[in-house]
Amino acid sequence: MKKSPDIEKLEKILNSSAIVSGGFMGTDTRDLYEIIAADLSELAGLGITITKLVSRMKEITAAAIPALGNWTNIDEKRHARVDEAKGRLTCPWPHLGRFEKRITFVENIHTGEIVKWTDLNIHLIETHNFFEGKGSPYRIELKEIVKNIF
Amino acid sequence: MSEVKLSKTKYKIVINDKKEIEADEGKSLLSTLLRQKIHIPTSCGGKGKCGLCKLRVAEGADILQPAEETLLNDYEKQSNIRLSCQVKVQNNLKIFIPPEILNVREYNCQCTDIKDLTYDIKEFRFELNSGDTLNYIPGQYMQLQLPLYASNNQRISRAYSISSDPKDINNFEFIIRKVPDGICTTYCFEYLKKGDKIKIKGPYGQFSLTQNHTPIIFIAGGSGIAPIKSMLHQMKNTGNKRKATFYFGANRVKDLCCIDLMSRFEKEIANFRFVPAVASSDPGEKWDGQTGLVTKVFRDDYKDATGCEAYLCGSPGMIDASIKVLKEIGVKEENIFYDKFE
Repeated sequence: MKKSPDIEKLEKILNSSAIVSGGFMGTDTRDLYEIIAADLSELAGLGITITKLVSRMKEITAAAIPALGNWTNIDEKRHARVDEAKGRLTCPWPHLGRFEKRITFVENIHTGEIVKWTDLNIHLIETHNFFEGKGSPYRIELKEIVKNIF
Repeated sequence: MSEVKLSKTKYKIVINDKKEIEADEGKSLLSTLLRQKIHIPTSCGGKGKCGLCKLRVAEGADILQPAEETLLNDYEKQSNIRLSCQVKVQNNLKIFIPPEILNVREYNCQCTDIKDLTYDIKEFRFELNSGDTLNYIPGQYMQLQLPLYASNNQRISRAYSISSDPKDINNFEFIIRKVPDGICTTYCFEYLKKGDKIKIKGPYGQFSLTQNHTPIIFIAGGSGIAPIKSMLHQMKNTGNKRKATFYFGANRVKDLCCIDLMSRFEKEIANFRFVPAVASSDPGEKWDGQTGLVTKVFRDDYKDATGCEAYLCGSPGMIDASIKVLKEIGVKEENIFYDKFE
């Protein structure tokens, strides 16, 4: 199917380093909407909704912010910390969301596994159902995140 | 068939009721000003994403563009503040630019030293091209223009506070903390080498010491030490006798930097005290200083800070938490100055 000029423009931005280093698509050669469809299908298979996933991510980030960069216990299984950097990141979609450069790290205390996300990740998932392309530094792998935050 | 040349309509832009420049129809105001070597701050390169290129267009502007609807608040819209990258020249314009921006210019310089301050913070020293000098007010920042490299295919820039001694007018320094996969810090940490040439623009910003005698509370975390360090150089250079205490917060002992310099400042600046605070120390780490979040440490020191000024630089979370505590101990909002990482 032929892509609209708007989608072509969006994919160009996602592939460029205009907003984040290396872009949002990583080494993924699939089209944007192929990536989104595959991830939504995988998420449904894990029995989790976007709303539930995003709600939990926001809850953990909010709990970790007051520790000012230090690890703080979330529950008996995991702790989390947030790391903030100067500046803001803008959403690549044409609607002007701007997000603090905040990275949330969550570590499973028992296994040592760590998952991470940015405030922009939360927005991309919540609003655009986009988990980023495979190989992107901030790609959210669904099995990993679901396993480590619920 | 002979070539037909279409001449573009020219318009006039009056700047601050003083200077008049000519502009081509249809060009953005940002790019028009840049051609006149007027460097309005921007980090997105004019894509309407960063919101930094604000200025007042008193007459002649077209309607607000979608990017401006979000990036300008109601007061700014009522005051005819616009994003200069979104304003197209389609009429004669009358604009107002903060005077300090008119002093901003582009500098060519060379990286002359890169020093590890911690495992993830480095100090970068640059020398300006021969004969060039940089005059700035301690607390101000520069925009580093990022060259193209493996992970970056765009012309963008990032802002860094100047950390050096302002009397060293041929050189300047940045203190930069590595951001995981950050566009600019990846370049600085992995690609930038001694001898490399870069371009910077500036100085920008209004974060600076006031000229009075009230006691000062400095609060910073991580690379937020940069503008405070420059202010302390200035206090030393000018023999400033204001009572000043610098609370420097770090998560671990290994995150602290510039400790020796701060100890020297305690001897060289008349009424200066340095209080490093570590949130918690790792087992086996030797630490006999203050322990706890920096907000707790300065709250414990000040039962009443009415009459103090506070200067803050660091992460948004640290700034927000510090402002809350500063107000609780009596510091007036108008006496709290900060360089939030935004």
